[in-house]
Amino acid sequence: MKAVYGLYAEPELAQQAVDNLRAAGVADADITVISSEPFEHFEFGHRDAKTVMPWMAVVGGLVGMTTGYLLTSVTQMAWPLKTSGMPIVSWWPNLIVIFELTMLGAIVASVITLLVSAKLPGSRAGKLYDPEVSDGYILVGVENPSDPARLEPALAINGGRVKSVES
Amino acid sequence: MAYRWGMAVDLDRCTGCEACVTACHAENNIPTVGAGQAARGRAMHWIRVERYYEGDFPDVRVKFRPVLCQHCDAAPCEAVCPTYASHQSEDGLNAQVYNRCIGTRYCGNACMYNVRFFNFFNPEWEKPLNLQLNPDVSIRSVGVMEKCTFCVQRIKAAKVLIKSENRDLKDGELQPACAQACPTTALVFGDLNDPESRVARLSHSPRGTKLLEDLGAEPKVTYLQKQAWYEPDAH
Amino acid sequence: MNRTLTKPLADDLVRPLFHTSVWFYAIVLTAGTVVACGAAAWAFQVWNGIGVAGIRWPVFWGFYLVNFVFWIGISHAGTLISAILRLVDAQWRRPVTRCAEVITVFALMIGAMFPIIHLGRPWLAFWLFPYPSSREIWPNFRSPLAWDFFAINTYLTGSVLFLFLPMIPDLALVRDRSTGWRRRVYGFLAFGWRGTTTQWNRLESAMQIMAVAIIPVAVSVHTIVSFDFSMATVPMWHSTIFGPYFVAGAIFSGIAALIIAMAVLRKTLRLEAYLQPIHFENLGKLLLLMSLLWAYFVFAERLTVWYGNEPSEMAVFWATQRGEYAVFYWTMVVCNFVIPLPILGIRRLRTITGCVIASLGVLVGMWLERFLIIVPSLAHKQLPYSWGTYEPRPVELTIMAATFAAMILLYALFSKFVPIISIWEMRAGDRPATPSATGDHS
Repeated sequence: MKAVYGLYAEPELAQQAVDNLRAAGVADADITVISSEPFEHFEFGHRDAKTVMPWMAVVGGLVGMTTGYLLTSVTQMAWPLKTSGMPIVSWWPNLIVIFELTMLGAIVASVITLLVSAKLPGSRAGKLYDPEVSDGYILVGVENPSDPARLEPALAINGGRVKSVES
Repeated sequence: MAYRWGMAVDLDRCTGCEACVTACHAENNIPTVGAGQAARGRAMHWIRVERYYEGDFPDVRVKFRPVLCQHCDAAPCEAVCPTYASHQSEDGLNAQVYNRCIGTRYCGNACMYNVRFFNFFNPEWEKPLNLQLNPDVSIRSVGVMEKCTFCVQRIKAAKVLIKSENRDLKDGELQPACAQACPTTALVFGDLNDPESRVARLSHSPRGTKLLEDLGAEPKVTYLQKQAWYEPDAH
Repeated sequence: MNRTLTKPLADDLVRPLFHTSVWFYAIVLTAGTVVACGAAAWAFQVWNGIGVAGIRWPVFWGFYLVNFVFWIGISHAGTLISAILRLVDAQWRRPVTRCAEVITVFALMIGAMFPIIHLGRPWLAFWLFPYPSSREIWPNFRSPLAWDFFAINTYLTGSVLFLFLPMIPDLALVRDRSTGWRRRVYGFLAFGWRGTTTQWNRLESAMQIMAVAIIPVAVSVHTIVSFDFSMATVPMWHSTIFGPYFVAGAIFSGIAALIIAMAVLRKTLRLEAYLQPIHFENLGKLLLLMSLLWAYFVFAERLTVWYGNEPSEMAVFWATQRGEYAVFYWTMVVCNFVIPLPILGIRRLRTITGCVIASLGVLVGMWLERFLIIVPSLAHKQLPYSWGTYEPRPVELTIMAATFAAMILLYALFSKFVPIISIWEMRAGDRPATPSATGDHS
């Protein structure tokens, strides 16, 4: 992987670097920003914020609900045993199991969506990363740039350090 | 028509002799736990005779009340069991399947009559007492609940017998051990679905009440006793 | 504020992972020994039969179920509180959330042991699982114990994920700072986290959804635990107030446990700069609120029973109010209300020490509350002939002690291997929550 990137101590500088890269004609999808915290209050922190996760949670919940319904009522009918004079398929108690499985389905579906869409667990091999990020620096860079030399000035902002990866 | 087993207990006849308790122990292989364990609340009596005293000394009257599983139609012990060990049989018995029981003891707590008993240890019989065990009744291991079955082994045997002889069950022909042993015939067992049976008629007696009837468990045991308006001055 | 300043913060918060004091070994050894004794006690009970415990006819549930309810109650400290604070975006939550979520996970694990420990045949506990078996029988979903199974499993799954997901970035941070086997282990646990914008956005979305989902689950868990009692027609159990009453009590004892855990962490790991008096002050106010709520529920419950004057309930009522259990009852009232009220109500007393004293009282009081709910009722059911008593036996006390030791042990180990204060959340909190100067293009 080849890459060129800058490390910035301040999110304002990182934002500037992102804006410069855009001005230099780099597509938004090609700009990588890596940080040790989410920057909700900066524009670069909002890129790629759209997610289907809430809908997946709803789908997971519906799957859980259906599972709960089938698990309770089908097994109750498969071997009908009378207890306490209650109906064989007893709705009141079954609703509790259905509720729990609904919530479980929603939770598991959200987490699966998170793992898939955030590519976790994944290998960092061959991907842009710098351990200095965990010291608080914000990495802004471009992987496999067509013209690294042209991008370096865009990243060279006062207070930032420009690095490149060649391998 | 299916059977619906029930019992009538005539408190006016009960002398508190506890023959029923002994017979039940012998018939159903109920272990005796010894004095030490009994003092720690581990005694098991599927039927017990409760004693209540009325009046002040020396003018005291004792009342006896045999209490056994009431085989409730809406038995609170059944639904709470997570493994269906406790459930209602087709004959209206409150059945306890020992093999399914994992020993949550929830049924014992839910039962308002406290007629469910728990095997805190594996049962033991000193030799030669092991030779008197009833071969028709399984021994319960540690960790399971047990309770009055209305001598289900006798019910099963009677059903086989009448089927082989191709006839109906005669009223009074089938008795659990307690009723059989009762010298005053205070305990009457039979089919509540047969309106002519003694137990069905006694269950409709004006002397009849159900134990803790207002809790809604719909017990199938009826207690018969002289009603209060009979007594001029009890105290 | 200069962003590079977050490096000392991260250095400081991972310090406990790389420097081990003698106290750590002492705590682990002591707590581990007690846990081992508890395991031996349980083995003894399984081998000899559950009769070695003090439970008896008619008090079929004793200390094991008391501890079950107690620990499940404690578990309501973390995930629930942390989820609520996250949703309302309370900034002071940042150093508190992980300490709290850890309590939830471990308390749930410990609490969920008790239904198995108390079984007559614990080796058959898997029969509670819904799975197709050769016996062709499924669990009875009408049983509150089956509800417990689903509720606790959902809550445990949710809480473990709720704890683990925001831990990933911190594990990645530890990975970057360590070498050798640690680098491999933390690298594995960090799931290859890099911290790209996409990853952060997804993580935040997931945490939002989980926070919304986990709150009703947490409420349902202790409601269902209360249903274990209120479904039975046992005097003073069969009550509609039990659901909210148990949930309030659970949060009450949970906050108390959290305050104590934070005070211990603050001293032992030198986190004075992060777990500040303001955090104890805020949690102390919450504890005060729960104390008042608890008192309200107890009064509503007691008044209803007393006014209704139903004989079997009155037997339990008087046994707890002025009979054989009165000592425990009034101790409970003192611990849960009389002591916390002035300490937490008077600002001058609402110090860290004050909050810890009140919390210790609340833990004792709430433990007694569960005992007073379970035992006196079972000992005084409708037929006076079958009334009984209950006394715990050594095996129950040993296992109970072991669960407290297990909590200490697990907590010590966790705070040794994972930064107990969420570093990235602290970092994110450093910045004031104002819209960026560069504008919002999204």
